[in-house]
Amino acid sequence: MAEPSLLLKQEDGRTVIIASGNWTHDHVVLPKTPEIPADALLVLDGTRIEGLGTTGAYRLMNTLHDAGVSPERLELRGIPSSVLPIWNLVAQNYTQAHGVIEKKSTGLLYRFGVGAVSTLRHMAGVANFVGRLSIEMFRLLEKPSSFRYREFVAQMEAIFIYAIPIAMAMIFLLGLVFAYLMGVQAQKFGANIYVVDGVSAAVLRELSPVIVAILVAGRTGAAITAQLGTMKVNEEIDALSILGLSPYAVLVLPRILALFFALPLLVFLGDLAGLLGGMVVSKTQLGLEYSQYWDRLDSVLKMKTFWVGISKAPIFAIFIGLIACRMGMTVARDARSVGEHTTSTVVQSIVAVIVLNAIFAIVFVNLDI
Amino acid sequence: MSEPVIEVSNIVTRLSGSLIHDGVSFNVARGEVTALIGGSGTGKSVLLKEIIGLIRPQSGSIKLFGEDVWAANDVKLMGLRKRFGVLFQDGALFSSLTVEQNVAAPLHEHTSLSPRECIELARLKIALVGLPATARSKMPSELSGGMRKRAALARALALDPELLFLDEPTSGLDPISARAFDHLIRILSNSLGLTVFLVTHDLDTLLSMVNRIVVLARGKVLGQGTVEDLRKIDDPWLQDYFSARFVEEHA
Repeated sequence: MAEPSLLLKQEDGRTVIIASGNWTHDHVVLPKTPEIPADALLVLDGTRIEGLGTTGAYRLMNTLHDAGVSPERLELRGIPSSVLPIWNLVAQNYTQAHGVIEKKSTGLLYRFGVGAVSTLRHMAGVANFVGRLSIEMFRLLEKPSSFRYREFVAQMEAIFIYAIPIAMAMIFLLGLVFAYLMGVQAQKFGANIYVVDGVSAAVLRELSPVIVAILVAGRTGAAITAQLGTMKVNEEIDALSILGLSPYAVLVLPRILALFFALPLLVFLGDLAGLLGGMVVSKTQLGLEYSQYWDRLDSVLKMKTFWVGISKAPIFAIFIGLIACRMGMTVARDARSVGEHTTSTVVQSIVAVIVLNAIFAIVFVNLDI
Repeated sequence: MSEPVIEVSNIVTRLSGSLIHDGVSFNVARGEVTALIGGSGTGKSVLLKEIIGLIRPQSGSIKLFGEDVWAANDVKLMGLRKRFGVLFQDGALFSSLTVEQNVAAPLHEHTSLSPRECIELARLKIALVGLPATARSKMPSELSGGMRKRAALARALALDPELLFLDEPTSGLDPISARAFDHLIRILSNSLGLTVFLVTHDLDTLLSMVNRIVVLARGKVLGQGTVEDLRKIDDPWLQDYFSARFVEEHA
């Protein structure tokens, strides 16, 4: 099929523009715009047009427009009747499409303002969420039988049971590496036995609670946000409210409570795994017998160390649960929002865990614990 | 008469064990507006997906513009897909793009037009489907159901297709918006010379804009023709379907 082209011809004192060829989006090489006299009487001759799509019609109008001809000034002639409606349709809507494509310019101050407002909204949203949840908690205390045990148990299974292998494997490896690195140093002083002191304190007090919390933030936090978010998109959350059920009581509370109980349990299992990891390295690298390792552990490891570590877990859990559930419940009704909120949950809850852990460290040191 | 745009012959479909289509055949001629109707569960949407190359039938052949959809290689299928547009039931607009970007997307992907021209053409299409200029920069989630359908229609028309598929174009719209949408499709299909194939439940759509109806029942084509032709067919579902309307008209 022929490429589109434009020809200019003088005819009885009028200027005739002859368009020919195929004006569709497959043929987009624009013909050269001929010089058109400013005040000429114009006729558009379309007898030689082979095909015309909306794209072609628009480009033809655009070409003429750029040459200073508005569609109204044109007299049409010989445009095939099959494509005339297309020409007319495009001509009617031409001004809507043509024009400056404005770019939104956003200055520094504007963006600063938008950021500030959204931060304030975020804080207000958090306060609102915590408030609603507290009301639900009081309702639950008033009437404990209304608690959603099934949902709670299902969540415990997802959050606790299925996370056991990965949590234990991770802390086992961390205990292993930590003991190995400490052992390298301790051997220089012949202080092999002190590796036990180091491993037990590090694993129980810091490594297990923090790493397990980060694992749960990534694993469970993301899952909660994605699930609640998709439910929101499907209007399932609206449907719950209409059934007279509070989505906070049915969905949010069981998840946060499940996290509250699951995380300390996971941390405890992590403690065990970390100590086992240390034990394996002590035997292979430092030549400590298992019995020596346990004896030493028994004499140096205080219950206090264990409690310090495990007491952090429920606090981490509440923060992870609040962040994940709130981000899930505030998803907008589109697919991108679910992704953004899930990412945000993971980032926020990992940051929360690390900041909280730092606060705990300062508080415990100042309290001489 | 030129060769049919859509040729469906002897389609057999089995989905998870149950027989959906048992030898479905019909043709759609160029320039026609054809509707596919049938009770729920008769496999209308499945048939539509088979025609546009999304679900493979067990046997039978489907030809678009004389080209077998399920025998075509990727390149040919891509070429075919550029020649038809599909309006999905809920619009299926990309939720992370604005209306304007949604409509411009096919132009960006399949033409060598400059980005500026793609946007201008997208604006033209948005104006054609009767959306206000303020809707251009909105996200799909900010639009009402009727506006979403119009935006999706603009996207389906982006590449100047010869053939347009509509899946329940008026479902979920109030009667006034539904009639306006029918009217829009009729005007556009007349002006742009489109062949339209739609799946619908809406009797008003059938009466106002459809040239020919294909009725699907019990895995076969029960009948085809105009509304008058179909009223003569003695089938309980079809009788109920039209009599509901008849009662309404004469109440």
